[in-house]
Amino acid sequence: MTRVRIPFAVLLLGAAALVPMITIPLGAQQTDRAKRIGSKFMCMCNCYQVLTQCNHVGCQVSASMLKELDQRVARGDSDDLIVQSFVQEFGTAVFAEPPNRGFSRMAWWIPALALVAGLALVVMLISRWRNRPPAVAGGPSAPDISPEFFERARQQADRETEE
Amino acid sequence: MDLFGSFALLLSFVCAGYAFAGGIAAIVTRHPLLIKSARQAGVAACGLIFLATASLVYLFFSDNYSIAYVVSHSNRDLSTFYKIAALWSGQEGSLLFWSFLLSIYIVSVLIAYRGKHLELMPYVSVVMAGVQIFFLTLNNFVANPFRALGIPGANGALDVVARADGNGLNPLLQYPEMVIHPPNLYSGYTGFTIPFAFALAALLARYPGEKWIHLTRKWTMIAWCFQTAGILLGAHWAYAVLGWGGYWGWDPVENASLMPWLTGTAFLHSVMMQEKRGMMKVWNVWLVFSTFLLCILGTFLTRSGVVSSVHAFAQSTIGPWFVGFICLTLAVCLAAYWKNRDYLHSENQLDSIVSRESSFLFNNLILLVACVAVLSGTLFPVLSEWVEGSKISVGAPFFNKVNIPIGLMLLFLTGVGPLLAWRKTSLESLRRNFGWPLGVGLLAGAVAWPLGCKDIFSLICVILCVFVTVTIGMEFYRGARVIRARTGYPFVGAVRELTMRNTRRYGGYIVHFGIVLIFIGISGAAFNRDAQKDMPIGSTLHLGRYTLLLQTMDSKPEKNYTAERMVVEVLRNDKPMMMLYPERRFFPSNQESGTMVAIYSTLREDLYVVYAGRSPDSSLPVIHAYLNPLVKWIWLGGLVVVFGTLVALLPNRQPAMVLAAERQKSAGHALAGAVASHATYSESHD
Repeated sequence: MTRVRIPFAVLLLGAAALVPMITIPLGAQQTDRAKRIGSKFMCMCNCYQVLTQCNHVGCQVSASMLKELDQRVARGDSDDLIVQSFVQEFGTAVFAEPPNRGFSRMAWWIPALALVAGLALVVMLISRWRNRPPAVAGGPSAPDISPEFFERARQQADRETEE
Repeated sequence: MDLFGSFALLLSFVCAGYAFAGGIAAIVTRHPLLIKSARQAGVAACGLIFLATASLVYLFFSDNYSIAYVVSHSNRDLSTFYKIAALWSGQEGSLLFWSFLLSIYIVSVLIAYRGKHLELMPYVSVVMAGVQIFFLTLNNFVANPFRALGIPGANGALDVVARADGNGLNPLLQYPEMVIHPPNLYSGYTGFTIPFAFALAALLARYPGEKWIHLTRKWTMIAWCFQTAGILLGAHWAYAVLGWGGYWGWDPVENASLMPWLTGTAFLHSVMMQEKRGMMKVWNVWLVFSTFLLCILGTFLTRSGVVSSVHAFAQSTIGPWFVGFICLTLAVCLAAYWKNRDYLHSENQLDSIVSRESSFLFNNLILLVACVAVLSGTLFPVLSEWVEGSKISVGAPFFNKVNIPIGLMLLFLTGVGPLLAWRKTSLESLRRNFGWPLGVGLLAGAVAWPLGCKDIFSLICVILCVFVTVTIGMEFYRGARVIRARTGYPFVGAVRELTMRNTRRYGGYIVHFGIVLIFIGISGAAFNRDAQKDMPIGSTLHLGRYTLLLQTMDSKPEKNYTAERMVVEVLRNDKPMMMLYPERRFFPSNQESGTMVAIYSTLREDLYVVYAGRSPDSSLPVIHAYLNPLVKWIWLGGLVVVFGTLVALLPNRQPAMVLAAERQKSAGHALAGAVASHATYSESHD
């Protein structure tokens, strides 16, 4: 019985020693490199969170993705290789931000175009408003106060606010 | 009670229908009886919606598990507190809740303006009834919350059955903020219906001038305040419950709430151009239309399953209804604008580019660009799939890259705007007003850099935050100094008097200061740190100046869940400081789990500790700790924003009282009193 137990125990110990080499525990501290690369990916469980930030309870998808990422980093795969393998596995939806190529580039251009178009509109409005003839005194928005009163009031305000 | 609720809903639909059709007939015929009956039908519809909502709440409290909605969102052990929240936790109930909140607004408007604005109000009532009909259609025929649980009987009809207990409320929603966050957010969404109704009504009725702007100012501010509070409460809920260490993930549902807030903020600024100078009339009308449409679009995104989100309601067939309503509303707005656009011409000219008017234009531009950036980013995955056939993700990194510069530009304008005068600002005035704020801001940057603020955006944010704070402080100081000189009040009393004389202007400055605090809090995110570890009892985890010692763990059975709790001692600089108890809860009724984060929050930083469950490999508890600097400033800023908005809603203190006191002092000060009086009058719309 003892002769059976000893090799069995040795085998078990050997297997136990191998476990850390083939699995990376969920709670293990990720390396900075793994964190950096992981922040480029989305968790693919539809939680809409970046992979390294997905922490909602019971998410199996992020756990397995992080595990794969850690394994690849530990194996010494290059950044490009890791990215390619994730894209192959999950499609382009795995990118946390639209890649700057093809139609996806539009996502980056739209805010910039909106800013340029808006600026053009503002400049156009300003030039149009500046060229418009002055409003008639006593229009709907102007209070009915004489220029003399305004001048006296302005002087009074200047005296009281300047020290 | 379910039959009563169903009947009340159906009857309210009929009443709203009459309010709409009768209102149109009243506008055409000008018959006083028709006007009165349409108005009363509107009030009755609202009363019936109150009754229907009360019925559903009663069904939750009486544990009536023959109603499908109650079964799906409650159980007997659910606390009373959360049975209220169960009302809006699902699609059907939240749509009824939407109708309920809309009814409160509609009834308030109908009562507040009873017998007033006889030309405008029939149009307003018709528009409000139109919006109400849409939601009542959903409540009655698409997502009825009173649907009974049924099984097919022998004759083919459904036999009502009752379950012994319900499935329970989603664990993520069993948190105090979920009881107040959705009502706030929905009050914001529904509240924007009122300025929309007035804007469309004024356009349709060709109602003259800026009156509709004056009438809707308070309604817009109330809606905006609710929207702001709702967004921040949602952010705090995400921070404290979801356990990922952040408060804003640019999730489509979060974005949906932000977009109408951005356009609503732009509107609150640009209305001043119309009030003061009679300009930007077309712009304002379209800003209100856009804000309302974005509210509906946001609801559509949340409920249709078009975009994926952890916050979204279950995928349903409700989407086409919203698309139809958005298209119809847009068509009505376009038609009304096209027909009556001649009534929206600006009256005044712009005297100088360096003026308050220009700053409002740029402020609006930046807010709208932010809105476009958020909208395009939110919808781009759908667009990409449609064009290219492959879906791409647009996550937080994209939104951060695009919106951080936009946010900083906005912060800059927050400081610049109040320093510029209406019409024209002289170079001397620019130098006088900008010198100190800019100098102090740059000095703050010079101090922050060696202290470790190396992130460029955070550094710019610090400079701008100080710049804006100094400009706001100077505005208060200058005004209070004049009042103190003339009245003899102590400085604090003078500040109070100043604020109360022009609540809108100085309430607005308080809001700006709240926004500054929020920006300070956000800038801290650049320095977030975290650490995660499988922790046996007695082990430690180091993060910054903190050490977390896992002392023990225990199990805590509660009525509705069982909590597995970690007892963590926190040491700061190796000195014992406090205990934290992050826990994980298991809810047997729906077999789901949830986290309860433990947070030690100070103005400097938050120590945020999550018990992330047990490691599948080692079976040890996994503790994930975050050190998030300055987060508390965001919540403080939110409180300041709400306070400032409430101040701005107060009526101005009567300047006549000041004049009376002044006259008693000397005749020579009479002009000063008149100046103060006139200044209060002229600035009352600042």
